[in-house]
Amino acid sequence: MGKQAATKVRAGAEGTGAAGKVFPEAPTLRLVSSPKRQRILEGMLEAVGNAGYDSASVRMVLDQTGLYRQAFYDEFADKDACYLEALAYGVAKFEAIARAAAEPEESWRGKLRAGIGAVLDALDSDPAIGRALIVEVHAAGPEALQIRSEAMKRITDFIDSARNASTGTETPPPIAAEGIVAGMHAVVHAKLATGDSDGFRGLLPDFMYFAVLPYFGAEVAGTEMKAARA
Amino acid sequence: MDSSPATKAEETQDGTQSLPRAYLVRSERERLLEAMLRVAAAKGYEATTVKDVIEVAGVSEQTFKQMFADKESCFLEAYEAVFDVLLAHMSSAFEAAAGRPWPERVSAALGALVGLLSIEAGIARLSMVEVTAAGDDARARYRSALARFTPFLEEGRQYASQGEELPADTARFAIGGAASMIFDEIRAGRGPELTRILPDLVFAVLMPYIGPEAAEDEMRRVAREHTA
Repeated sequence: MGKQAATKVRAGAEGTGAAGKVFPEAPTLRLVSSPKRQRILEGMLEAVGNAGYDSASVRMVLDQTGLYRQAFYDEFADKDACYLEALAYGVAKFEAIARAAAEPEESWRGKLRAGIGAVLDALDSDPAIGRALIVEVHAAGPEALQIRSEAMKRITDFIDSARNASTGTETPPPIAAEGIVAGMHAVVHAKLATGDSDGFRGLLPDFMYFAVLPYFGAEVAGTEMKAARA
Repeated sequence: MDSSPATKAEETQDGTQSLPRAYLVRSERERLLEAMLRVAAAKGYEATTVKDVIEVAGVSEQTFKQMFADKESCFLEAYEAVFDVLLAHMSSAFEAAAGRPWPERVSAALGALVGLLSIEAGIARLSMVEVTAAGDDARARYRSALARFTPFLEEGRQYASQGEELPADTARFAIGGAASMIFDEIRAGRGPELTRILPDLVFAVLMPYIGPEAAEDEMRRVAREHTA
């Protein structure tokens, strides 16, 4: 039984890594086929976020979810397989939060402000999940890092759409968006890793400044920063 | 023993002169640190054992235990040493460019950094990628190691037109961004060609301070310099 589940999960995880098309447009949560599975994934993220990847155990997930051991192994081969799926699930959830917040906004800047703001709010309300997705992913091996890279690429693509919609007044070199995402990621990562995990929302003005700067120049970036402070 | 051990050669049992004990101790330590880096670079930190390290260093296990509590403490010290070397390298490039505009000095320091990292690609992979998987202590070291790059950028506030108004996190943003780009390159197996992304790094580090246009000018200058 456990073995069968393992094959299934592994096939799913491979799909995520190779094609990167599990969430082609809007991320749906279709990876999660049952409420029990979803509880396990969320329990895994909590456990990894609180204890760290290496120390997190299936036992902690069971304590977290109130499920029996067998229930876990019916769904997942082991901790690693479970975390990989939990990572994809958590990333999709964050993306869905960002998209939902950005959707009503018309402009690139509006979408950016709403999307980043919503993600920062989510980090404020559950920093353990943030640690599980952003910090501990590094301890979980190459497949996990691949999921991380693909997520960062999607954020990069959105940010760089500033140039396509001819909304931006500047035409920065192609690397600009990647640098912005890397920089924001680094600031959030450091904050999560040091346990200084409140006030993520307070990062919004700085992030708006950095993201708007290469596409609109310093003046507009400064205005955005001040607007986000208010 | 502390008085001046380095000046006094010691006599071994068979009467031949050996190297001064303090010298041996130091060089054994250095050999262990270097062996730790080489082994961990070759097979990964997690797979590295103390036995591997002492074999490569040619040092006894007892000596290892006298010097380090465990594998991790040896690794952390070796790790610190890597950043000492990187920073020294960058500092001298930064100083050698004294008198030139600040963005050019930053480019010189970044050039020194990627030059050294690309030559020591194995150790670069270890220091910038592997370390993030090596536990909380190692990660904390990684963060404080990155923070040591801040002084190169502080001057940027004076150089930037509205430096006073720059976000408080500017240095962390710039350094973290550069580190993350380096991380991605190394992870993709392009560590030995890391100098290729120098212009991109220059842009990413300078842009938050001096804006996109000036950063792009400097990026192009660096790209020209490297193709010339």
